Formats: sequence, structure tokens, C-alpha cells
Amino acid sequence: MNLDRRSLLKGIGGVLSLPLLESIGWAAAKPQVPTRFLVVGNPFGAHPEHFFPKDFGTDFTISPTLKSLAWLKDRMTVISHTDHGMVSGHGREVSFLSGVLPEEAQAFSEKNMSLDQVLARHVGNQVRFPSVGASLDSGIRMSWTANGVEKLPITDPQELYDHLFLNLTDQEKRQRREMLLRDGSILDTVGTQFSQILRRASARDRDQLDQFQTSVRELEQSLNDRQTWLDKDKPPFDLSQHFKDGVTIESRYDAIFDMIGYAFQTDLTRVASIEFPSELKYAELDGVNRSYHGCTHNGKQEDVTSELVAIESFQISRLAKCLRKLDSIQEPGTDGSMLDHTIVLFGSGMGYGGTHSNRNLPIMVAGGGFKHLGHVDVRDASGRNMPLCNLFVTLMQRFGVERDRFNTSTGSFDLPTA
Amino acid sequence: MRLGFIAVLGIFFASPSIHANPALMRQHCGQCHGMDEAEGDFKLGALGSIPDRDNLESWLNALDRVRAGDMPPEEDSTLTDADRRNLIAYLRQQLETFDRSEAASKPNHRPRRMNNREFARSVADVLLIEDVGTHLPVDNLIGDARHHGFDTHSATLGFSTFHLEQYIRSVRKIVDATLLSGDRPTAKRYEIAPERILAATTAQNIKRPERAGTAQGFDFLDPKQLAYFQDFEVVPASGWYRISVLTSALDRGLYDAEDTGIYDDDPIQLRIEMGDREFVYDLPDNEVTEIELKEWMAAGSRLKFQHPTDGLRLLGNGNFKFQNRITALYYKKYQPQRYEELTKTFAPASNGRKRGPDDWHNWVDYWQGPRPRLLGATVEGPYYESWPPKRHVALLGENPIIDNARDILEPIAQRAWRRPPRAGELDRILALVEDVHRTDGVVEALKEGIVSILVSPQFLLLNGENLTADERFASKFSYFIHGTIPTSELSEAVAAGEFASHELIVAKLRGLIYDGKAASFQKAFPYAWLELNDINFMAPDPAQFHHYHRKLVSEDMIGEVLHLFRHATEENISVPELLLADYSFVNADLAKVYGLENVPQDSRFRKFNFGDGRRGGLITTGAFLTSTADSLFTSPIHRAIYVMENFLGIHPSPPPGDVEIQEPDVRQAKSIKEILAAHRSDKNCMSCHQLIDPFGYAFENYGPDGSWRDVYTVQDTLLDAEEREPTAPKSRRARPKSSTIAIDASAEFLSGAAYQDIAGYRKLMATPANQNRIVRCFVTKLLTYANGVEPAATDFAEIDQILDISAAHQHRVVETIAAVIDSPLFREP
Repeated sequence: MNLDRRSLLKGIGGVLSLPLLESIGWAAAKPQVPTRFLVVGNPFGAHPEHFFPKDFGTDFTISPTLKSLAWLKDRMTVISHTDHGMVSGHGREVSFLSGVLPEEAQAFSEKNMSLDQVLARHVGNQVRFPSVGASLDSGIRMSWTANGVEKLPITDPQELYDHLFLNLTDQEKRQRREMLLRDGSILDTVGTQFSQILRRASARDRDQLDQFQTSVRELEQSLNDRQTWLDKDKPPFDLSQHFKDGVTIESRYDAIFDMIGYAFQTDLTRVASIEFPSELKYAELDGVNRSYHGCTHNGKQEDVTSELVAIESFQISRLAKCLRKLDSIQEPGTDGSMLDHTIVLFGSGMGYGGTHSNRNLPIMVAGGGFKHLGHVDVRDASGRNMPLCNLFVTLMQRFGVERDRFNTSTGSFDLPTA
Repeated sequence: MRLGFIAVLGIFFASPSIHANPALMRQHCGQCHGMDEAEGDFKLGALGSIPDRDNLESWLNALDRVRAGDMPPEEDSTLTDADRRNLIAYLRQQLETFDRSEAASKPNHRPRRMNNREFARSVADVLLIEDVGTHLPVDNLIGDARHHGFDTHSATLGFSTFHLEQYIRSVRKIVDATLLSGDRPTAKRYEIAPERILAATTAQNIKRPERAGTAQGFDFLDPKQLAYFQDFEVVPASGWYRISVLTSALDRGLYDAEDTGIYDDDPIQLRIEMGDREFVYDLPDNEVTEIELKEWMAAGSRLKFQHPTDGLRLLGNGNFKFQNRITALYYKKYQPQRYEELTKTFAPASNGRKRGPDDWHNWVDYWQGPRPRLLGATVEGPYYESWPPKRHVALLGENPIIDNARDILEPIAQRAWRRPPRAGELDRILALVEDVHRTDGVVEALKEGIVSILVSPQFLLLNGENLTADERFASKFSYFIHGTIPTSELSEAVAAGEFASHELIVAKLRGLIYDGKAASFQKAFPYAWLELNDINFMAPDPAQFHHYHRKLVSEDMIGEVLHLFRHATEENISVPELLLADYSFVNADLAKVYGLENVPQDSRFRKFNFGDGRRGGLITTGAFLTSTADSLFTSPIHRAIYVMENFLGIHPSPPPGDVEIQEPDVRQAKSIKEILAAHRSDKNCMSCHQLIDPFGYAFENYGPDGSWRDVYTVQDTLLDAEEREPTAPKSRRARPKSSTIAIDASAEFLSGAAYQDIAGYRKLMATPANQNRIVRCFVTKLLTYANGVEPAATDFAEIDQILDISAAHQHRVVETIAAVIDSPLFREP
């Protein structure tokens, strides 16, 4: 292990102390280099003329919305003409990471489990948090469990900080342990009772009851894991620096991205999702006066459209800032930066809010050690759009999940490893 | 006529009297819905000879369309009235052959997790307390998703690890504030001087000190700021508290209502908040009153005070500081001499910038807006009528011992599970109680037992099968009307047969409505049915619709709908009248949007008779018109779909995924009708849109905020950059030019029925066929609300039964709801 990492770590927001990798500092050292996954999503897609570059190939011209990622041009792939084949309208964006709507989830063995949760399941309890989801104020229903139930993001930076980095005092730990034990015995009781009910239940009741039973089992497991991790201190992180110049949606998102970056760096988690909800007051941003949703229905009015593009560019710029930091950190024990070992996906389950279209989703992949393709048109010979699940199969394989199908996939997307 | 001839190949049906009907069907429907070019997703061949499980919906749709006269379309049809009746009779007769019991699975009545509002109410009722407590114990619950407005939708109310963990956490917090062990806390008396009352900051800048009151009193300025007592910030221990507040109301009507946004006739109010519990008082003007409260408050909760108003946000960007300019306006208008004197005293800004005399900075110290004032307060507590307190004794008894654990927990479990626990069912919980008893004592042990009861599936899952018919009915009725567990009186009444018939249920419902005990239903059901939660998903443009945003008009719009619905249940009007009445309920804020005169200038809702056909009933409420419009423009299609789905029970299929939908372009000088006409010229689009669009055009006279308009205003393309004078201040920059286009709100249905405007549209909605659709749709929504799932196509005959009963009672609301409750679709497991 490279012991001179201190100088390389200055990149991550305001934190200068040497972070210790959880898996190295506290748990057993893991020989292999982790692959991570970061997905950033929004509910309304993107204004196509501003999001998609005008030309194709590795030498494409960066588009206005993606401008803050210009430095990453060689290590990103913007994909035109991929989607889940959904009809138009709101509400279908919740299928972004699975290609499956909640109401049709019964037809799939993993329900509408989202890509991030598939990967989190693969990581399991190797790390403290199998996955972390964050947003501001409210979420966009992007993450779904194998049970077909929404996994809600943490919607406040302070709460995210407490979740990821707050260490308990010895007394708090004792209380927490006692509470975990108590909750454990309650679950034990409820679970036993429950099997009696399940025995009597008809097929009709089974669905809801199954969800309940799985919940009891998973929560028991999670309480056990938490007991194990309880004694291990979390890495330190200084949040106060982020709000020196005021609390704005910019500083709050930067804090979220930094905490996620630092959680990657210290191996607290390997799977993270960050959402940009519709309810947020983007009017705080320069050049934005209207609501996010209001801007999507701009009726092609130029001033309103430019507000929308400002919001979309803002989303990309927060991600870009985080990626730059990840790229400035050498991945310990191997070649490349942390970004080269982090698969980054930006996108939406909606194509463009202005037309309510859910075709041609705005999709961008970066990092992850791929040999990137620039801007590609992925339609097949007969002009049909590529199922987005094909890309997800490729990302899963890169992450180490050995499978060649995912929900509506018809194959995989050819994105070679660098 | 261009009707194609299709040969009738044989006689399918035994009865000779109807054998001509399939021929009628082929003759009049075949050309468009034949095998090769089936329009509107409907193929005649799919009907087969009789309805079965797979084609039932097609049969029902066919009947609905033919009955409404939409099909066959008037302009291409030679169907006589007699033949139409014949065709309807045939379709009905065939449908009657369908045997519901043959439907493989009944999708009705799926069990579901109770939603958060039901959870909070139910836990409080199981524990015999007023509410879950003042310490926000259910705030950690995960928000419920809605399905087309419904918060009772089974498949949408998922259950996960996160839910379970949060339930455990919430129940613990509630139980901890109810069952108290250890030493009796001693009461303290807190004397609160006005200087020790602070306005909690809402700004992001947390460095600014919080504003305190003066010896004179604490005045409320910014309505967003909540006040609290510095010496009583957090409730130290759970128990009873006596709170006494000296307060008065100042300067009502001094400033002009147009500037403050507060009506002169509205009393100034004071709101006292403790967690989710709140009290609102009308304060008499300039007179000191004492408000006294005796409340059970949970340890850790906070006591807060607020001036509840939707005013004081009209100027600037709405932030309170800009409202200080109202003072300048007041002096200028009413005390010009004083105004002159004052403006001479104003100093320039510290950075040397010049300020105009009316700049808000200058007037901060002279504020005399309408406001409540706190002159002082005392808080005393915690005290207890006994120790342990009554609520503790009510659950556990005076001196609980571990040997009585079963007797103590049984009634609690019976309330929670809506039935007596079965033999052996409490054993595992009792084992847990004994376990905890060994280390933590009897009260802690029983608490764990109660937590187990309240996080068990028997409590959390509704509509399960593990209840007797009476228990199930009592539970279902109680959640339907009250949103909580059944009381023992209700369960006994059900067991005694007091809900056994339609008449009995009608009587019960009337009593409950009269006694104000159906409030949960009267609010939650219209919220779900009319998708009120989504009203601001696409709010009108804030730049154009200032009043809508600054006066929080969406809340008034929701108020209108809730008043209408409450009126419908209380006065027991008919379901079609609820939709099509010529009256509604408005207050001054709504009157401004609706352009009404002679409405009293205050916030109270009053019945208003319109008499012009433009408004009245649910069909023209601002809530509907706003929630279906985009922020800058309106869409007759969105409004048509809303009317079809929520009022008429027609479910048009969404456009195919690969259809190119044109982005609305407000810059083009075309009416929506011209744009849609282009869309409809595509044959694939037309077959559905000629059915859909006529349901929406009538609403073109209503803008994005629901206000009436006679023309569209179209913004022309922005002027060239040079002409825009980028250096000039915003207000003086050239505004984009606009022009107007006439509105055409007329349309013709396929049936040939046509209307000129909304008044004509109302008449068409009132035809018997449409009234039937309206009531059927209402019934369907009630069943969805009750069962957590929409009724299946196979339930059509049962729904017909409900409609017959409803029709026998002139479709009156209460009788119709009672018919739903009495139906097997509600009663059956």
C-alpha cells in the first residue's frame, strides 16, 4: 500500500487528514481493488438539443449542457437512441434503472429492482453500507429493492453526514447495542408469529405477506451487521467547511457529492446514487426564476428554455466537480485514478419533459476503466433504439456481476475495457 | 353511404329474437373495426361469440360506446334509434351470460399495509390517547406513494425493511411518552416575559441573532417565523402542562388590504403548535385576551406560536423584508405630512448607496401591519392527576405484575388486530415480555409487548382474510369512514346486524355525517379521487400568475373541492349534481381568480350561485383546471383525460411509445385546435383523438390558473438582442410583443352531439347516458378507495346492482355510498 497518500488526498472537499480505508484500517485487508458505481439521475430528462452533442465519434464537440465535463471528453460515452421503450408521460421515469414499471414488476423475477441495488447486493456486507442514496429535500423514486419497494434516499446533508460519518460515544454505543438487541428480539417474536399467519394465508394474501416476511428477515440481518460494525469507528469528515459561504443548493449538493466521494475513498460503500428532484427550489441558481417542472414545459420560449438548460447544466457541473476530485486521487495499490475504478452513470428515465417523451433517454457513462466511445448512436440496422438494459448488463459485468441478461435486455452494449 | 358489406356466415345464437343483432353489429361496426384495419384498438373479431375472461373489457367498452351514442359515429352511420336499442339489448344479453364465479382469480380486496395517516390514528386509538404525541414520533416514517391519487392502493403501499424499522422506532417513541415509569417528575412554573420570547430564524444565515420581544410585548412580523419561549424551549418530561398566554391583535385594517394581502374582515389569528397538534384562535382587536390550554405534551417536544396568514408576501420576491415598503405606501397615502418628515430623517446605506425614500430598509422601525402580540405567558408542569398517570393506568392497570401480562395485553391486541387474539397467538409475545422482565422490570417488559403487537402484520396489514365476516366488515367500514380501528361500539353494532341492509347503512351514514364523525372520509376520499395532491405538480407560471402563488391560492382551490364534497354528503345531493351544479364554494381569493363580484372580502368559504353555466360543481373547479394545465399553457387533452378518467370512467389508451409528440410552441400564432388538427390528420392518432378531444375543448376558456379568458395571448418571438437594450434596468427593457387569438371552445362528439361552449358541454354531460357514466365512475372510485384495488371488469354485474340501487334513490350521494358498502364487492373477502 502506498503510504504516501496524504498528499494525494487533498482533493476531497476540505478534508486534509489521512482517511483510513475501512476495510484496511479496521476490517481485514482485501487484496482486490474495489470497483464502485455512482449513478446520478433526474426526473425530467434533458433538453435534447442542448444535451446531445451535434456530432458523433470520439472526437465529438462537447454539448452546452455537458460543458463542465469537457476535460473528461476522452473518458466518457454519451449514448444517443437508447431507452426502455416506454410510452410517453410522467411517472415512467421511475423505471430508469430497471426498465420495469412498478405496476408490471410482478412479471419479473427481481421485480423492478434497480441497477444500483443489484450491484449493492453483489457487494453485500463487505462494506459498512451496501449502498448509499442521497438527494436534497425529496427523492425521485430511482432506487428499488428486490421486493419492488422504493428505497428512499437521505434528503439532507446533515443527515447524510450522521449516517456516514458520525461516531457514537461509548455510552451511545452501549444504548445502541441494547436497542439493536431489543429490536432483534421484537423481530424474532414478530417473525415467529408471522409464520403462523403465513401458514393459514391463501395465495391471494401472499404477496403482501411475502414482503413483510422478507422485511423481517432482512432487517434481522441488517441489525446483525450493524452490531458487527458498531465498534468500528467511522472515518472522520469535516462538513462545516462546506457551508462557510452560506447554505445554498450548490453548497448542499457539493457537500453530498463530497461525502459520497469520501465514502468511496474510505470504502464505506461502493454503490451510491444521487438524485435531483423536481420540487427543489432551483430558482436560487443564477438565471433561473421558475420551477424545474415549469421550465420543462417552456413552449419553446427561449428565456424559459435557457432556464431549463441552466438547471440541467447545474446538475452536470456538480457531478463534474466530484469526478474531478475522484480523478485527482490515485487508486491505492494499482494503476489509475479512483475515477478509473468508479463506473459513473448520468441519466433519466424520461427523455425530455417538454414533449413528455420517454424515448431517446439522455445517457452518459464515464470512468470505470472503459475504453470510451465519445458520442455514439446505438440504433440497430433497422433504426430501432437500443434497450437501455443492454448497457446495464455491460455495467454489471464490469462491476463483477456475472450475468448476461437484465430485464428487457436483448444483449449487451459493446463498451470495451481500456 | 360507404358501408362495406360483410356477409353473415351463420346463426350463432339459439334465440331467434336476437340473431339479427350480430348482423347489426357487423353491418354497423365492421367497416372500421374489421380484422384488417381496426381503429381505436378495437377489433370486432376479438369479441368472439360470447364474453369470456379475455374479451370481457371489449364487450363492456362496446356497450358503453354504443349506449353513449359515440359509436357508430354519427356521420358515417345509418343506425336507427330502434336498431340502437336493439344493439344495446343484444350486448347486455350477451354480457349477462358471463358468470363472475368463473373468473379465475378475484383481484379484489388485496391486503395492504395501512398508510401513514391510518397508522398514526390507529396507534393513538389502540393506546387510548388523543393523538400520537407532540414530539413528531411518526415524522421518520417513509412517505406513502399514491397511485392515481389514491393513498390506499394496495400494490403501491409496499413494505420493506425500511418501513419495518421506522415503524418500530415510531411505536417506541409513542409508547415511551405514554407509559411512564420511575419517579414522578416535579412540576415547575415558568413565567415568560415578552423579552424572553424569540422569533426562530428561518433564514439560512444562522449567524444573525434571533429577534426578541420588548417590554411592550412580542409582535409577530414575518408569518414564516415561529416564536418560542427561551425558557421553555423543549418539554422536559412527558405529562400535563397548563399553558396560559396573554395576547392581543393589533392594527387590523390599518394598511390597505391590496398591499398586505390580508382582508380587513378576517380576524387576526394566533396559532399554537406543539408537534402535529395545533390550535388556532381568532383574536379580538386591541383587547388583551388570555388563552388557556391544558395539554399532554411529550418529553422533547416544542411549543411554538405563529401568525397564520397567507398574506404579507405580495411585494418583492415575497420575502417579508420587502413588505416593509407597505409602511411607506401607507404614510404617503394617509399621512403625507408625516411621510415627508420621516423621509428627511433617512440616512443613506452604510455602503454609501443611495436609497429611494420608499426603500424597505427605511421603514423597518415603523411597521404597523396586522399582527398578533404576545404580552407574556406562563407554563406549568408536568403534573399528573395520579402517579402513574391515568393513561398509563388505562393500559397497564394500577400495579401491573408479570403474571397478569396476558390479561393486560389481550385487550390491547384485540383493539390493534381488530379481533380477539386466537388461542396461542400471544404466547410468543408473552415469552418476550417475560424475557425482558427479568432484566428491565415489568413496565419496560409490557412496553416491549405492546411494541410487538403494533409492528405485527396483524396490525399493519389491512383487508387480510384472518377475520370473521363481521370483524372484517367492522374493520373495513371503520377504515373507510374513520381511517382507524373500529370502536367496540361499532364492532358490537355490526355483530348485532345494524349494518345488515342498505337502509340501515344509509341511516348510519347519515348519523355519522350529521355528527361530524365522517371527517376522515370527507377529506381523504376527495383528495384521492380528484388527485388533489398533484395540484402544484405543474403550477401556473409564477411570473404571470402572481396572485396564485403569493396568496397560496392552490390551498383555496383544495378548500373549494372539500367544501363542495362536504356539502354533497351533508345535503345528500345527487352525484351528477356534485359534478354539474350551478354553485360552488368560494372565498375572496378564489373570487379574484374566478372574476366574481359581490363576494365578501374575507377568507371564509361561502356557497356561491353562478347562474351563467361557466362555473359550478366539480367540473369547473380551479383545482381541476389548474392541475391539468401546464404552467404557461393549457392542454385540452390533459383536461379531457382527467374528465374521462375521473368523472366518466373511460380509460383511453396512452399513445404508442414511438409516436412523435410535438413540443408545444407558445411562439406560434396558432390555436391549440389548429395544432391538434394537424395531429389528428394522422389516421393512427385520429381514431383515438376524435374520441378524446371533444371532452376537453370546452375548457379552453380557462387559463392555466383556472381563470376565465376569451382569447389566447401569444408571445411573439423575442426582439433582436440589440433592440432589447441589455443595459437598461429589467423593468424598462422592451417586453416581447404579444398578440391575441380567438378561442374556439366548441366541439362535436362522434355521436353527433355538439356544444358551443362550457354551458352547452354541461348539458351534454347531463344526458342520461353520461349521468350513468358519472355515477358508475364515482362508484368505481369508492370501491378503489375501500378495496385498495380497482374493481375488475368481471365485477360489472355487481356494479350494475349498485347503480340500480343508486338510481332508485335519484343517485343521491349517501344512498350511493351505502349501496357500495352493502355490495358484495365491499363485503366479500
